Amino acid sequence: MSEPVTAARAAQAALDAAAGGSAVAIVALVQAGAPVTRLIMRDDGVVEGSLGHAVLDEFGNRLAREALSKPDPEPRVESVTVSDVPYQLYVEAHRAPDHLIIVGAGHIAVPLAHLGILLGFRVTVLDDREEMATPDRFDDETRVLRADFAVDPFAGVRIDGRSYIALVTRGHRWDYDCLHRIVAGDAKPRYLGMIGSRRRVRAAFHALLESGVPRDVLATVRAPIGLELNAETPAEIAVAIAAEIVAVRRGSDIASISSRERVLDRFLRED
Amino acid sequence: MIDEQVYRAIIDAAEDRRAVALATVLHTRGSVPRHAGSKMIIDPARGLIGTIGGGCGEADVIAAAAEVVQSGLPRVVDVELTDAIDSWSPAVCGGVMQILIEPV
Repeated sequence: MSEPVTAARAAQAALDAAAGGSAVAIVALVQAGAPVTRLIMRDDGVVEGSLGHAVLDEFGNRLAREALSKPDPEPRVESVTVSDVPYQLYVEAHRAPDHLIIVGAGHIAVPLAHLGILLGFRVTVLDDREEMATPDRFDDETRVLRADFAVDPFAGVRIDGRSYIALVTRGHRWDYDCLHRIVAGDAKPRYLGMIGSRRRVRAAFHALLESGVPRDVLATVRAPIGLELNAETPAEIAVAIAAEIVAVRRGSDIASISSRERVLDRFLRED
Repeated sequence: MIDEQVYRAIIDAAEDRRAVALATVLHTRGSVPRHAGSKMIIDPARGLIGTIGGGCGEADVIAAAAEVVQSGLPRVVDVELTDAIDSWSPAVCGGVMQILIEPV
């Protein structure tokens, strides 16, 4: 049996999860007048602590697994009766917030990073230029990394189902290289958008198809990036991108520029 | 997003072996100012960190927290925020909150 899980240990587990560690569900047995007992389950299934009773632990593990299986579980209480005694369990889950990864620290990145923070994202900005990859151009909460686009732009950045990636570098060539690296890799972000005109997107998709990237993978790429707002200024473009990200996050299928342009279907037909 | 400040305060209090109480909203019904999972530290030496809803019911929780710090045993309190709307009481949010108060 592991050490009892104190309130402080549970708080540490929650903080670790929020900072990007493995997600955790914390289950507490709540009885007035008796010390609170807890168990913590990580998203890999490893359990720490105990509610102090095998049957309750089994029930607690089930609650924890259920909470971890949901993207955004609300904290809640659940009642359970063991040998005619009613018990109250409380479960809450903690995981890292969604991660907005902005590739290219230029004019669009500044307002987009700002919007990302407002929308509750962890925000990382990548650029290969030392003078652009500087934290003082961004909000304090934004992580700004100097990346080597030629070797691996995403070194030290984990891409998973909670990643939202906007490719907005200074040059189409860098956007293309980064896009290629992501669509050819195993990690699948929740959102992947690339800036560019119809013509440039068409050239990029054509090259990616030629290099063997499957069509259905390309079909998930939001390019040209953003919602159709007729945006012109960097701030307006950032809003169009942020709005598309919110639409994806919340499961809305409002008109994106990519769905109007349908570059893949219109210009790169299957034979 | 979690309120990091409250979580750090829990850890700090435990490390310093300072007796404080942690209030957690377990469950709510009706219209309430904060939702399940909200946390507040009641630290006799340093005051409050975080909030479980401002004026609405917090006074009851602070009173119960003093007992919890003394006895070292948790309490579960139901705070009713259902005072009449014309009473000028802060507790007119209209809901009920169940709150766990435990020693840290």
